[in-house]
Amino acid sequence: MMQLFLTAIGQVLLIGVLIGAGLPAIFAFGIRFLAYGAGGDAEVSHEKPHPLGTVLGYLCIAIVLAVILLGIAIIVSSGFGYHVSFEHIIPTFKKG
Amino acid sequence: MILAVTLELLLLALVILTAITFDFTNGFHDTANAMATSIATGALKPKTAVTLSAALNLIGAFLSVEVALTVTNAVVHIQDSSGAPKPEFLANHGHVLLLIVFCGLIGGVVWNLLTWLLGLPSSSSHALFGGLIGATIAGLGFSGVNWAGDGSKLDGVLGKVILPAFASPFVAAIVATIGTWLIYRITAGVAERYKESGFRWGQIGTASLVSLAHGTNDAQKTMGVITLALIAYGVWTDTTQVPTWVKIACALAIALGTYTGGWRIIRTLGKGLVEIESPQGMAAEASSAAVILTSSHLGFALSTTHVATGSILGTGLGKRGAEVRWGVALRMVAAWLITLPAAAIVGGVMYLIANTLGGYLGAIVVFAILVGLMSFFVMRSRRKPVHSGNVNADWDADSNAPAAAAPAAGSEMKETLS
Repeated sequence: MMQLFLTAIGQVLLIGVLIGAGLPAIFAFGIRFLAYGAGGDAEVSHEKPHPLGTVLGYLCIAIVLAVILLGIAIIVSSGFGYHVSFEHIIPTFKKG
Repeated sequence: MILAVTLELLLLALVILTAITFDFTNGFHDTANAMATSIATGALKPKTAVTLSAALNLIGAFLSVEVALTVTNAVVHIQDSSGAPKPEFLANHGHVLLLIVFCGLIGGVVWNLLTWLLGLPSSSSHALFGGLIGATIAGLGFSGVNWAGDGSKLDGVLGKVILPAFASPFVAAIVATIGTWLIYRITAGVAERYKESGFRWGQIGTASLVSLAHGTNDAQKTMGVITLALIAYGVWTDTTQVPTWVKIACALAIALGTYTGGWRIIRTLGKGLVEIESPQGMAAEASSAAVILTSSHLGFALSTTHVATGSILGTGLGKRGAEVRWGVALRMVAAWLITLPAAAIVGGVMYLIANTLGGYLGAIVVFAILVGLMSFFVMRSRRKPVHSGNVNADWDADSNAPAAAAPAAGSEMKETLS
């Protein structure tokens, strides 16, 4: 029982840290880049705007959104008896 | 008398009514898990937050079609593995089973309301399981309880309730601490105002995920309990589906409960434990969402309440200089520890009363006790009301009620996003 429990909780912790701390970190990079892109009052250093920052910032936020949407898709589909396969890298839904 | 109401039909009606009441308390008890941080940081206005959370709970309840018919199997032996009631309970339209479920639900509702009155976030599933365990011990003896399963998988009171309860706050706190630390490190050069407004969006998004996850997990438990009662009585036979009206009733009850907002608990979680900023709020909800969804996907459901509390505590630990009110945290832990036994005592005593008085009288008396206790708790809550207007008032260290001299507490909401 203890063994099973520790395995299960270890998995939750590992995936939890990857997703639950990793995604906020990517989002934080997004905010950091956007501030770098906006420049001026957005940054403590009041530097001039860097357009590249804005692009990278939105990219980070897009990555976070994509992972969340994928997560919702996995949960909803498993409720309907589907599972998501990463066999062809692009996620596809399979019955069973 | 034109329509003869048999005792079992009365019991079935009371089970359904009490189950829907429980589902409602489950909703308003747990609004805080998703929305306390967004309300505390002002990312969402209190009313907007509960409306959003209610809508997502409603959607969540319909989204997950996985049948939760075997919900009681985790703690008591009244169903077989397919979800059907054990044959020995089918006599007399499932009289004994209906009475156990009825009294167990009363235990859950009473404990949920008492902890709400005290402003303590406690697990609704623990309250339900506790009530069922107590009623089962009273009705069938200790052997009726599934204490630890057969050891081949995580099962029983130990494997599905007690061990996860001890571990989940720590797991959530670790995830949130790491997340908070990373966020503050990464955004070190960003101006405060820019940071606040950016993370508010992240906070709203992650809080929405927690609400959705709550709807998919918790509404199902009540659906499962009602369907079990219908099968035991003999008006439903399909163990692979929940009747549509049950699904709709439970989804509406949990959403309505969420919309009502357990403001006392929202206040404790959002203001009492840690004073939080938007980046911390986002880290907390992201941790909660990730831990809840991961664990339920692995078939290892953790209590939303324990996870959310651990996450909020973690954000206090992850930010340098943030203050964690350990006294409040200790009160919560104490409430968690006694939730299961306390709900069990209520469930058990109710069963003994109902069984001793017997028949119609017993069922009506315990239902009257439930209604009486509910009215008492609601009346007591009026003495120091907490509502959407004062939920964010400054935390007074001496009591968990809003400071008396905070008439326009709504203005407390920081409007830094201009």
